[in-house]
Amino acid sequence: MKSWLPSGKTLGVCLTAIALALWSLPNTPDPNSTSDLHTGSSISSGAIPTMAVPVEGPAQPNQSPPQNQTPSRPQPPSNAVNPAAPKAKPGDPTEPTNKFSPYVPIPKSKLRIRVIDGRTERPIEGAEVVLIETEQRFKTGPDGFTQWMDAPVLRDPRYRPLVAELHGQLGAIAYRNGYRDSIQLGIRVHDGVRNETTIWMYRLGPGDRRIEPVLYQVPYHRLWLIELADRFRSKSQPGEGPERP
Amino acid sequence: MKRLLIGSVACAMLSFLGLALPPQAHAENTIYNTSLPSIVRVAIRENNSSGQPDPRGRIIWVQTVPFEQYCEDVLPNEWMPSWHPESLRAGAMAIKMFAWYHHLHPVSIDGFTFDVDNTVNFQTYRSWSRQTETNQAVESLRGYSYVKPNGEIIELNYRAGYREDPNWQYRNAQKMAQWGSQYWAERGRTYIQILQFYYAERALRRVR
Repeated sequence: MKSWLPSGKTLGVCLTAIALALWSLPNTPDPNSTSDLHTGSSISSGAIPTMAVPVEGPAQPNQSPPQNQTPSRPQPPSNAVNPAAPKAKPGDPTEPTNKFSPYVPIPKSKLRIRVIDGRTERPIEGAEVVLIETEQRFKTGPDGFTQWMDAPVLRDPRYRPLVAELHGQLGAIAYRNGYRDSIQLGIRVHDGVRNETTIWMYRLGPGDRRIEPVLYQVPYHRLWLIELADRFRSKSQPGEGPERP
Repeated sequence: MKRLLIGSVACAMLSFLGLALPPQAHAENTIYNTSLPSIVRVAIRENNSSGQPDPRGRIIWVQTVPFEQYCEDVLPNEWMPSWHPESLRAGAMAIKMFAWYHHLHPVSIDGFTFDVDNTVNFQTYRSWSRQTETNQAVESLRGYSYVKPNGEIIELNYRAGYREDPNWQYRNAQKMAQWGSQYWAERGRTYIQILQFYYAERALRRVR
């Protein structure tokens, strides 16, 4: 009759495995490990920081409470200041080099605006143009142009991690006595080049009763729209195929 | 006798066909027998509900635009003004030859006769959308054309292509990739080299 009891060799192997498993469990936190972390010296076993240490500043309302911290990973005191701690890592969302970060430096470009009569297409002198985003005000000259202005290249942050817009967009309003106010949104502003746009204004007539602003929305560039559509295209909806005519 | 009869019938039929279908003098439009257009007739299509020109919208009117001004108001809407100057020049040449070809081959729709419309059916045209950089590209090609070696004016087509890609020719489609023009321009190619890369058997020619 065969015995179901394990042999001595099997028992030995099992006991060795259990001992190894117990040995590999994390140790209880060493109270001196935090001081090692602060001084920037070698980190004691079992205390491996995986996040950048908050340098300073009050606790944020959405910060997790201390009781949620893992006991096997000791954290430094909240008011501790560590000069040797890394300032910003590539994974830091506030780091501008991170492509998913909303904190991006805003490039500057040049823009001038031409104001013309919408019917005659002649330039309008003396119109006041306001760049909405920067609240700058300019007057048009005899050729209908404003002077060159510094314009930020503002790209919509909603799309930036997905498909970066190929140009920024701005808005402007033109005022002139005897004309309807004209609002132009979506003015394309490209990096590193001089940009121009034209605002049409329409003269008020005796039959005009409701005097309201005229809106003109500059469309997105077609190259960006094509990229955007391709970005989310599934294989089952090839459209016109990989090589559009 | 029978052979003579058949022969005479055949001669009569041939002479009849010859009278009914006289040989037509067909000469291709070349840069030697046509001149650079002075204007382009642009059909303006109605906008969709979002205020954008609708490629399937009704034609509202036909606008007559000076030829070079038309090229200036198309280039920033087809190419990116921030792209490399050589890419812009390649685009300016394609836009110019496209418009020239269609000026020689107008169409009539809904009672309107025009060369091109203002949508992607032909080339995206927005009045007064010209930019400084793209104007320079158009002006630099004044007096030049890109045609067949015998001077025949052909349509230079293009498509968007893919970013950061050489966009090799697809089945000899004779279509320049816009992103491809930027790709090659950033790698030091001139606009002539870019055009040669995408359009086979074409040549740069001076025009009067």
